[in-house]
Amino acid sequence: MLPKLEYSSPKTLEELFEVLEKYQEKAKILAGGTDLLVSLRDRVEKARHLVDIKKIKELDRLEYRKGEGLIIGATVTLRRILESQLIREKYPVLWEAVKTIGDVILKNRATLVGNICNASPAADSAPALLVLEANVRIVSKEGSREVPIDKFFTGVKKTILRSGEVVKEVVVPEPPSNSFGRYLKMMRVWSEDLAIVGVAGLGYREGRELRVRLAYSSVAPTPLRIREAEEAFTRDGTMEERIERAVQVASQRVSPISDVRGSAEYRLNLVKVLTRRLLKQMVEVV
Amino acid sequence: MEKKKITFKINGVEKTVEVAPNKTLLWLIREELKLKGTKKACERGDCGLCTVLLNGEPVKSCLVLAVEVDGSEIVTVEGLSRDGELTELQKAFIEHGALQCGFCTPAFLIVGHWLINRNPRPSKEEVVEALNGLLCRCTGYRPIIEAILSVSKAKK
Ligand SMILES: Cc1cc2nc3c(=O)[nH]c(=O)nc-3n(C[C@H](O)[C@H](O)[C@H](O)COP(=O)(O)OP(=O)(O)OC[C@H]3O[C@@H](n4cnc5c(N)ncnc54)[C@H](O)[C@@H]3O)c2cc1C
Repeated sequence: MLPKLEYSSPKTLEELFEVLEKYQEKAKILAGGTDLLVSLRDRVEKARHLVDIKKIKELDRLEYRKGEGLIIGATVTLRRILESQLIREKYPVLWEAVKTIGDVILKNRATLVGNICNASPAADSAPALLVLEANVRIVSKEGSREVPIDKFFTGVKKTILRSGEVVKEVVVPEPPSNSFGRYLKMMRVWSEDLAIVGVAGLGYREGRELRVRLAYSSVAPTPLRIREAEEAFTRDGTMEERIERAVQVASQRVSPISDVRGSAEYRLNLVKVLTRRLLKQMVEVV
Repeated sequence: MEKKKITFKINGVEKTVEVAPNKTLLWLIREELKLKGTKKACERGDCGLCTVLLNGEPVKSCLVLAVEVDGSEIVTVEGLSRDGELTELQKAFIEHGALQCGFCTPAFLIVGHWLINRNPRPSKEEVVEALNGLLCRCTGYRPIIEAILSVSKAKK
């Protein structure tokens, strides 16, 4: 059973800000509810006033603008993202990551913005957004601010969002031209599970040089981009040496834990295996 | 806890009820409306057995609040057949033995109908993908998949 709750469903951002101001810490945003209702049921979530944002038209945008990039509003479901041919072609790493989340039914409700606001270390969309260098547009009664996604997560289930603030949308800039993106997710079963380890990679050419970006889920308190591993790959040597250097650095930067999905040792090994696999693919394709 | 008045259509019939905001759509269907075809099991979105159609799309009703469905249209397994006549898919489930204990059957029928409606000739892969949010612990899934595919073939 769910605890006692109050519910409101504002139709505009102004109304939303009023509700948030009135209830402060007691209020919690309700998007698809696929995380929130479970944590309320488990009494992990303490908030008791749910503010449903699904009636706010402004949050419903899914739009691509040349130059600016892709805008994903707070109420855009994973299903809509998956159905976008443009996202599949232009942002394959994001498309692949979204595809791995939950199942077809869940994707009818679950949102991308909910996935990052929930701030699970296992959030599958996060590594993809990290390598794409997405920005999070945050609004409140006071105004708005834009934060790079790698500054957004602050701990397990914690973000930089302050009381009264709401994520309006995520903006994903134009990826480097001719880039190759991929998300590798290791699960206990072939579908419908959180990642034991997930790795997103983006490869592209800067002049003739191959550059890579690497980000991980389920290996640290927050989803994690590991720039040191990217740099280790960039330095001299044969392709094999560069890959092994990146693999070593990545495995030193993660801090996995043991849980029902896998031991810390296994996760550490997966970080190496998946990083190596991903980099080899990028060397071949890009 | 203040109750809210909501109006919605379920299986073609309009209803207005008052519900507390902490009640789920699953509760609304089973306890308020006494439609027991929709099953309650894990109540955390894992098993999918409470799946119903909300405005034509499948949702896990344990993860939707009753107050959220104000103004919406809901279809449960009770709403699939017409004038006492089983649908082609329901008949195919019987022919293929696509059930044993039957507990998961309403959810598989709901998703099966949804799939066939939007994609009259799904491939086996598409069927498997559509079903992957639903758990069955008797059949091993194969007869369910075959039942759905038999209906899609029949439509050719
Ligand atoms: C069966 C099942 C399988 C799952 N599988 C996966 C999986 O494979 N991978 C994965 O990553 N996740 C998975 N999840 C978790 C969940 O479905 C996703 O994280 C989903 O994207 C959350 O989106 P939502 O819209 O349902 O969020 P909600 O539950 O509505 O919200 C989640 C949190 O974010 C906050 N929030 C939402 N929107 C905003 C906003 N605009 N501004 C500020 N705060 C906001 C809410 O207050 C809440 O704290 C699974 C969940 C279930 C039940």
